[in-house]
Amino acid sequence: MKGTLSVAWKETLSYFFAPMAYIVITAFLVMNGLIFYIILTALSQPGSFSASPMALFFGGTLFFWIFLIIMVPAITMRLGAEEKKSGTLETLLTAPVTDSGVVAGKYLAAMAVYVAAWLPTLIYVLVLSRYSDVDPGPVAAGYLGVLLVGLFFTSVGLFTTMVSRNQLVAAIIAFTILIVLLCVPLLSFMVTDVAVKGVLQYLSLWNLMQNFAKGIVDTRALVYLLSGTALFLMLSYQALQTRRWA
Amino acid sequence: MIETRSLTKRFGTTTAVDSMSFQVGTGEIVGFLGPNGAGKSTTMRMITGFLPPTSGEALVNGKPVWEDPLETRRAIGYLPESNPLYEDLRVHEYLRFRASLKGVPRKRRRNRIEEVMESCEISDVRHRIIGTCSKGYRQRIGLADALLADPPALILDEPTVGLDPAQIVHTRSLIKNLAREHTVLLSTHILPEVEAICSRTIIIHKGRLQFDGTVEELQKGLSGGGMLTCTVRGDAEKARNSLLKTEGVEDVDFLGGEEDQSRFRVTAQAGRDAREAIFWTCSKEGMPLLELVSRQISLEEAFLSLTTRESAAEKTEEEQP
Repeated sequence: MKGTLSVAWKETLSYFFAPMAYIVITAFLVMNGLIFYIILTALSQPGSFSASPMALFFGGTLFFWIFLIIMVPAITMRLGAEEKKSGTLETLLTAPVTDSGVVAGKYLAAMAVYVAAWLPTLIYVLVLSRYSDVDPGPVAAGYLGVLLVGLFFTSVGLFTTMVSRNQLVAAIIAFTILIVLLCVPLLSFMVTDVAVKGVLQYLSLWNLMQNFAKGIVDTRALVYLLSGTALFLMLSYQALQTRRWA
Repeated sequence: MIETRSLTKRFGTTTAVDSMSFQVGTGEIVGFLGPNGAGKSTTMRMITGFLPPTSGEALVNGKPVWEDPLETRRAIGYLPESNPLYEDLRVHEYLRFRASLKGVPRKRRRNRIEEVMESCEISDVRHRIIGTCSKGYRQRIGLADALLADPPALILDEPTVGLDPAQIVHTRSLIKNLAREHTVLLSTHILPEVEAICSRTIIIHKGRLQFDGTVEELQKGLSGGGMLTCTVRGDAEKARNSLLKTEGVEDVDFLGGEEDQSRFRVTAQAGRDAREAIFWTCSKEGMPLLELVSRQISLEEAFLSLTTRESAAEKTEEEQP
């Protein structure tokens, strides 16, 4: 894992020196703020159903997922594709760093941007807590879910950028994989076979995130997200290694 | 220090490097010469461990490159052909990143970066964003990066490309000074560069080693026993015949003449010095010898003859059914 921290530091610098990170984070916060506002307005209507605003905010709406599957590929797309296109991969991989160090460093940097995008949403919690009681348990679990889903999605994005020379292609492939991950479990509504239905429900990111938002930290969800992350990190590493097969 | 043993690289059906074997000893500066597409960069990439060879092996410090890639990379400072750099970083940020990547101890980092910026003359652009630097500066930033960790071996792929004449002179003397403690393998297609700084030259063509030796050996080896230009006074035909009969002379070409003088190019037999015999011949035949110059063939001629001879031979091979 040699070189992890050097690579992570440099990638983080590159993110914040270029406008991309600011654009992504700003767009994300503006959209999220809007959704949060809509949730609050809807819930304060007389006669509306009662629910915790934060529970709705974390995966309770379609928008949560739409933002994520756009934001994460936008963050990760440059990590590998840019190095390949500009040729800097050659200087990077002839420096005394391991391939795993390169993968880990880039992954950490992307996660840093992801976390930076979510941090300002803690303000929502502060605002809510001024006007009502906020149960800290479900909120903490919700953020844990956000982090875990982020780990998983970012690993998918990292993989696609490691196999592509073109940033846009990398982003589109990542977007597609994420859509599939999100939508295939929806087929459980149409399936009658109990076993298949069970598997699809287990893989449902929607159920999983709603559980987190309710404050339920399910080990099965942890296993799914973390093993998915490990799989795509392995694939990223292998993608970097393919140059050795040539 | 650097060694290749029948190193071969194939891309699909094309063979980029064909069983290449050579050695570069410690303290040597070896010029790696060849026309475009000869396989210089591919060979260098295999030595640095960026590309795996199809067969054969490259050794650095006596150890196969793939056995301990990290150790190899630590021993080598590499300037790739296109000199890729991170466009969005500032010069000093880039060098700081590379220094930490290469494991330059934290305490020494700042001083070391100052040193290489000084010696590569890029101190004045330290705060510039690399993307806005001119080609000459970029080239020297790449060179500074190669020197950062003070590696024992330097592999420089066309280090003087894009530099202005003054920078070229400076860079060459920099490389020459480095060679005292470093092993340098540099590729170029600028021939005077090889003459100016390299102690030895390796010429490759179409992935094959064509020549490995000093510049003098190259010039001597190709002219066989040496080429002479000889001017005598007397009848051209008669002079040619008697010169041809002279001991040690391989061939005589009439170059031209004016009034009663005739000029010839005399090719001596391999390994023989025909000058004395020519003198005695002329004296015996009663033809005053006006001029006798031994002609050095230039590196350009040697290079062209090496790299075109091969293609000519191949052509005749192909023509045969």
